[in-house]
Amino acid sequence: MEKELESLIANLKKELKECSKEADILNVKSKYVGKKSRITEILASLKDMSVEDKRKYGSLINNTKKEMESIVASTLESLENKVNITFDDTLDYDIENGSLHPVTIVAKEVTDCLKKMGFTVVSGPEMESEYYNFEALNVPKDHPARDMQDTYYLDNGMLLRTQTSDNQIRGMENYGAPLRICAPGRTFRNEDLDANHENTFFQIEGMVIDENISIENLMYVMQELLSEVFKTDLKVRLRPGFFPFTEPSYEMDMSCVICGGKGCPTCKNGGWIELIGCGMVHPNVLRAGGIDPEKYTGFAFGIGLTRLAMMKYKISDIRVLNSGDIRYLKNFDIK
Amino acid sequence: MLISCNKLKSHIKNSEDIDWLNIWNTFTIRTAEVEGVKKVGDQIDNIVIAEIVECVEHPDSDHMHILKVNCGESEPIQVVCGAPNVRVGLKTAYVKVGGHIDGIEIKARPLRGVLSNGMCCSGRELGISDNHDGILEFPSDAPVGTNVKDYLPIDDIIVEIDNKSLTNRPDLWGHYGIAREIAAITDHELLPLDLIEIPNDKKDLEITIKDPNLCYRYTGLKVDNLKNNKTPLDMQIFLYYVGMRSISLFVDLTNYLMLELGQPMHAFDSRVVKKIEVGLASDGDTYTTLDGVERKLTKDNLMIKNGDKYFGIAGVMGGLDSEILSDTDSIFLESANFNAGSIRKTAVALGLRTEASARYEKSLDPNMTIIAIKRLVYLLKKENPDLVFGSNLTDVYPTKLEEGHITLHKNILDIYMGRTLSDEVVTNMLEKLGFKIKTNKDAYEVTVPTFRATKDVKIEQDLIEEIARMYGLENFEAKPLKLDLTIAEHETIYNQEYEVKNLLATKYDMHEVNSYIWYDTETLKKLGIEKNGVKLLGKSENNILRDDLSFSLMNIVDLNFKNYHKFNIFEIATIIENNENKRVLSIILADDEKNIETIYMQAKSIVKYLFKMLKNKSVTFTNNVNEKSYYDTSLGKVINVDNTKLGEINVLSKVVTNKLAKKKVIVCIDIDFDKYVRIIPTQKLATEVSKYPTVELDYTIIMPNNTKYDTLKQVLSDFKSNLIKSYSLVGTYENKYTIRYILGSNTKTLEQKDLTNFKDRFIEHIKNNNLSIIE
Repeated sequence: MEKELESLIANLKKELKECSKEADILNVKSKYVGKKSRITEILASLKDMSVEDKRKYGSLINNTKKEMESIVASTLESLENKVNITFDDTLDYDIENGSLHPVTIVAKEVTDCLKKMGFTVVSGPEMESEYYNFEALNVPKDHPARDMQDTYYLDNGMLLRTQTSDNQIRGMENYGAPLRICAPGRTFRNEDLDANHENTFFQIEGMVIDENISIENLMYVMQELLSEVFKTDLKVRLRPGFFPFTEPSYEMDMSCVICGGKGCPTCKNGGWIELIGCGMVHPNVLRAGGIDPEKYTGFAFGIGLTRLAMMKYKISDIRVLNSGDIRYLKNFDIK
Repeated sequence: MLISCNKLKSHIKNSEDIDWLNIWNTFTIRTAEVEGVKKVGDQIDNIVIAEIVECVEHPDSDHMHILKVNCGESEPIQVVCGAPNVRVGLKTAYVKVGGHIDGIEIKARPLRGVLSNGMCCSGRELGISDNHDGILEFPSDAPVGTNVKDYLPIDDIIVEIDNKSLTNRPDLWGHYGIAREIAAITDHELLPLDLIEIPNDKKDLEITIKDPNLCYRYTGLKVDNLKNNKTPLDMQIFLYYVGMRSISLFVDLTNYLMLELGQPMHAFDSRVVKKIEVGLASDGDTYTTLDGVERKLTKDNLMIKNGDKYFGIAGVMGGLDSEILSDTDSIFLESANFNAGSIRKTAVALGLRTEASARYEKSLDPNMTIIAIKRLVYLLKKENPDLVFGSNLTDVYPTKLEEGHITLHKNILDIYMGRTLSDEVVTNMLEKLGFKIKTNKDAYEVTVPTFRATKDVKIEQDLIEEIARMYGLENFEAKPLKLDLTIAEHETIYNQEYEVKNLLATKYDMHEVNSYIWYDTETLKKLGIEKNGVKLLGKSENNILRDDLSFSLMNIVDLNFKNYHKFNIFEIATIIENNENKRVLSIILADDEKNIETIYMQAKSIVKYLFKMLKNKSVTFTNNVNEKSYYDTSLGKVINVDNTKLGEINVLSKVVTNKLAKKKVIVCIDIDFDKYVRIIPTQKLATEVSKYPTVELDYTIIMPNNTKYDTLKQVLSDFKSNLIKSYSLVGTYENKYTIRYILGSNTKTLEQKDLTNFKDRFIEHIKNNNLSIIE
């Protein structure tokens, strides 16, 4: 009996080895473990055996049948595995990708950071009135500060805004005090184009008004912003500046990342890049926005987003940004 | 503006204690931006004053001489020199063998066979002037053998300060003001200027100010018996180092005073001065300025008049005929003060920005005019000890500028600074800068000196700026804003713009571009399209503001066709429509002409997807009658959401496309983003899903020629059955349209008779509408 059972397994294995198709395996399966197979016969004969034989062979016969069934199953599985691989799994195509403009990416980072500090993101018009661009910002007609920014005046009496600071007035008018706003947007200066000068570029304006706002609060927000955007320790310096709409006024410079501070055309060989103009809001500007300067103080800042994008991505020629040339733009992906 | 540290040192007591190379980093963070610090004179050494004691012609040269020079050593030294001004007795600069000029070592070497031990050099070779006509000529009393660097201020540090950062500091447009800042920063004492008092024992000059609103002060003085019009060497070097040419003593002194005090001055030849009148020009008059250019005047230009004739453009430039002639021994000094805005307007209008106008534009202190004259005369007398005054110091000063008075409240100062400073600290910092201060319990009463009172320091915040910068910005501590837990009220436009951009870049692999707000003139010309709209003043190209975003991007499309045969770009930007700002989303799909159907359909699905995903709105397209000639007239679509026009899809007309590129197609989507932002997304609700299975049925309908899917769409929407879960177009082939119906019931599994019944009704409906169906 033991011998027969062993030979059944051996024969099954031998016949399965010669099978290459699923159907052949199934034929072998029915021959060896099917209803009319020898093992089924032996199993059926078990009931006629003596108690002693039953005890002796019962489990052996059952186990043999189970083993034969599992041999067939695993042969089937290995055949399935074999037929599945029918293509060149080493092919490797390039992916297509879209892209966001680098300024959009940087603007998102800056606004995300400011939003975390509770700023509202607002926006103002690109074609602006003299009132919002200059007068309400403490820059009366014939003020030499108007010369600092070469303005595009329009034949309908309006102008293209020279700064996002128009949002200061609009923000105060719309929301009053206390106030925390930021406003990314496109601005315009009548300049000749070269690697460092554009007539169309982006800034982000920020303004905070509350009781007891100090110069130290201004510094905090500026430092947090820059470390968030550049994610490294940057060399920055704060120095006195002059803007008619803030008093005191400051300029924040960062060391030029294009040349590492050694001096290059981008930083006009000075090693520093003017990045942020900021200061405490001038009382006249608060008044123009309908806010009582006796009760409130505040600070405002303007960051060159285009300049920031150039620093972050080490773009040495500003002109590529408005070129629309996909060859440059596609490198920026979406983050 | 260039600043000489030697000059600054002369105004500060114990100035040798100051580190003149490194102080400028501090100056930048205290006062104004320094753009460069440069040592000069360090490229030369071993140069001494030597006297020529023998001078013979070089036998083998037509211009060189063989000199013997005495440089204080025991024996005269032989030097060969090619300069024309060599002569016995001349004291000049001699470079010893082993000395350096411009960093190059001077060796003993033969010149045309004669040994030259060192060289005699010109001002240019020493780097102290641009004069190379001959070797340097020292006065006869110059001590032989002395190192030139001990005799003349050749070693210096020249600092460039960014003019822009001095815009609001009229007091810093001269060395004396800068010295005051440095003294304050370093806690040193500023020395008073040496002046000469002028006795009032002569006649007044005839000076009239016609427009006291434009000319605040005019101070004049006539000085006679001037024999020496030669500028001393040290002054020449100073002028050269800070970027000015030395001309003659009288002219140089006026420039020197401008550089020292910031007060522009003028010296006229007294022989031509009759009576001075300051008044406006007449429209249409012309006047030739010192530079020889004839200027057209208007009634806005303030002029200096002499007798009946123009004599100079006030505060800008003198005239050709007011120049000092070399033979004069009498000058008329002008030291005046004008309205800053008027000078600026005139300088801008004439396109003539001068050193003088740059300073007047900043609102100079009118009290400086008289100091400047007294100072100039002091310096003039050093070179002309016998000068005499030809007139009284004549001063026309209709409205005197007084010192300013500001109350600085301590509580306001505390808020700005974020800390409390002691009275002593505040007083000390302001006094060093020239302010006078009286301390009360709650406030300081501050007197503002006139050199800061013209416009710079007017309100208490201006004083806070002074205190903050002198305190040191680097000594502040960044402090977070106090937390306010109110949720910020957000305008959604920025977020919505970003959301759309991100979707287009990620789902559709599009590229975001940034463009200009005006049409590109060249592209308009190339496409043969004329545009009218709001115009930029004073520009003849790229001067029309765009009223169609997609069309304004055609220069970018043009550029990219050079590198790509197909591409997709988008931008959200401003256009000007009917004189109003309007935000627009433009998407442009560009491809080969043969793919027109594909990208047209893609355009429609992009629009549908955008509104479905971001606004939960469905879109309908209606035909657009487009008045813009450059778009195809039959393929335009209006994008409608909630029965409102939200935008358009257009195909650039074939004629215009061909001008950009052959066999291409350009599909433009323009969505009114202002309207888009205002759409409130439809509330999403869960839908119930039937537990019974659904059945898919496909029908292929044959449409007559010359009909479009629109017709079938109408027929299909008219067919009603409560078994219909949904239906959609799944394919077309020629004029055959395959529609897939999903049928089902929420109450039972559909039986064959339900399906047969549906099919019979559907076929009948189709036939009743005169369409045929493949059964």
